[in-house]
Amino acid sequence: MTSPDSTAVSCHGIRKSFGTGDTKIDVLRGIQFEAHRGEMTFLVGPSGCGKTTLISVIAGLLDPSEGKVSIFGQQLAKMTSRDQILFRRKNLGFVFQQYNLLPALTAAENAAVPLLAAGVNRSTAVKRSKEILDRLGMASRADNYPRTLSGGQQQRVALARALVHEPRLIICDEPTAALDHKSGESVMELLATSAVHPDRAVVVVTHDNRVFHFADRITHMEDGIITHTEQNPKLQAA
Amino acid sequence: MISLGLQILRYDRAKYIAMVMAIALASFLIQNQASILVAFLGMSGSQIKDVREANLWIMEPDTECFDQAKPLRDTALQTVRGIPGIDWAVPLIKVDTNARTDDGKLRTVTLLGVDGTNRIGEPRMCIGSASPIYLKGNAIVDPGGWELLFPGTSYTPGRSIRIHDQWLTITGISNASPPFTGLPVLHVSDRTAKELIRGETRTTTFIVGRTSQDPDDLSKYISRATNWRAYSREGFQTQSYTFYEGQGVPMIFYITIAIGLTVGAAFTAQTFIMFIKENARGITMLKVLGVTHGQLAVMLAAQALMVMLLGLSLGTGIAAFVTESITSIPFLRGLYIPWQVVALCSAFMALISAVTAAIGFRHVTQLQPVTVFRS
Ligand SMILES: Nc1ncnc2c1ncn2[C@@H]1O[C@H](COP(=O)(O)OP(=O)(O)O)[C@@H](O)[C@H]1O
Ligand SMILES: [Mg+2]
Repeated sequence: MTSPDSTAVSCHGIRKSFGTGDTKIDVLRGIQFEAHRGEMTFLVGPSGCGKTTLISVIAGLLDPSEGKVSIFGQQLAKMTSRDQILFRRKNLGFVFQQYNLLPALTAAENAAVPLLAAGVNRSTAVKRSKEILDRLGMASRADNYPRTLSGGQQQRVALARALVHEPRLIICDEPTAALDHKSGESVMELLATSAVHPDRAVVVVTHDNRVFHFADRITHMEDGIITHTEQNPKLQAA
Repeated sequence: MISLGLQILRYDRAKYIAMVMAIALASFLIQNQASILVAFLGMSGSQIKDVREANLWIMEPDTECFDQAKPLRDTALQTVRGIPGIDWAVPLIKVDTNARTDDGKLRTVTLLGVDGTNRIGEPRMCIGSASPIYLKGNAIVDPGGWELLFPGTSYTPGRSIRIHDQWLTITGISNASPPFTGLPVLHVSDRTAKELIRGETRTTTFIVGRTSQDPDDLSKYISRATNWRAYSREGFQTQSYTFYEGQGVPMIFYITIAIGLTVGAAFTAQTFIMFIKENARGITMLKVLGVTHGQLAVMLAAQALMVMLLGLSLGTGIAAFVTESITSIPFLRGLYIPWQVVALCSAFMALISAVTAAIGFRHVTQLQPVTVFRS
């Protein structure tokens, strides 16, 4: 059972539509969603059902047409845009399908960006990011540029970047979709072992059912609504 | 964030170099053309400046600058000497005339007749002494003039030129400032000058004098009280400068400077925008990771400043080198880049990079963080 104060993310009645008139599409049609600390929550569903739209709303990068989102009890919608940015900088980590690394920066520098943005000095930031890269088995690649790294290695750098500032919520959008099965499996493995933490919630969007066994909770989504949620599929499988 | 910005800038080496080169080229063009223009117009005061002893110049009302002077009536000298406040006044003859060198070349020269009793207006010397000019038939010439009269030869005593069937022997090289006209400047005594221009009814071109009063006030008084023009030494230099400025001399320079500025600005801004657009995804990512617009502004400013400083230094270096190299042309000797030109050019470049950074920043503010989720 999860106690109420373990709630990291809660969404109530989220609606989101794009366009107007004839071209209007309702992408999110009344979403109820929760993610909890200490858990890895999977958000799964067919392509185009609105998963990316939902996590964009959760991250505060997209305003919902209707509904309420709170993260650790705070509503981003009620903050000034500057406070939203600072909140995101402190509390959120991201992993994308496209690794979104800056080609001009080395692996260690890329992973250090959240610290640099927060004003940590460069050498401290890079040192910390190297420690994380080390934990992710990337120590020997810390000074490499992204173009010299494989997809799996780049995704591990992105993972280091999501972890380096010890955020309380990590959002991953299809982190394994661009990887072969083996690399995908190992990235998920690292995510499960490094990212999950009693104070942190991890939300993973995926439609890759080969990695479902890493989830603590799987929320199924279809055509803009949440259909059902399975708890502790690992235990059920065991 | 500053070092991060510079790292991103350096990574796109082609655009980085292109922008630095554009600023360098613009800086070079501006400094080179502006300093030549200033030096060029400044030359219009060369022969005024060279009469170091005088602080007052008096001339015919039709005379608008040193080079286009109409002679005064010969009685003028006595009248000027009688004006209260004038310590002394002497005539200065200035006439442009044709000369033929001893090897047969025809050249127009500027002849300056120095008053033999007071030797006011006698030039400083490079080679030899000025004294021989007070003997009949001797002259001294400026270095640029020697090169024009006897190209490719170094000074040797005894070369001569012929003016109106009379031979003049060159007895030395003066240090006269290069004239605006580019003509050889020959200093002779007033007696020699008068003989060479025999037949003219008026011989005195200027009356130069000295006052211990304020020369500007006195010259204004003289202009009002007589029908001559009178200027202080600086006043006449300014008058000659503005005369040529009004003749449209600077236009060609202004055009080149404007081209330098426009091309430099347009190319730099254009390239910077391309740079921003190509890095849009990375910059958007930075926004998602919590980099504020303020931090991004600092980053862009650092990038623009870096490009400007490198380009400006490079352009100034090239301009200095070119200036140094072309001072060997007699006509351009004494050319230098005034600090005001460097300051003005730096201000222009600072403006270009500020505008460029601002345009870049406007693009950056329009990047939507949510797009990073889309591939
Ligand atoms: N900015 C937008 N404008 C219009 N339609 C959009 C926009 N963003 C997403 N959509 C549409 O919303 C639907 C859901 O997209 P998305 O959230 O990316 O789905 P998923 O991540 O589950 O594949 C798609 O039909 C997509 O075309
Ligand atoms: Mg998606």
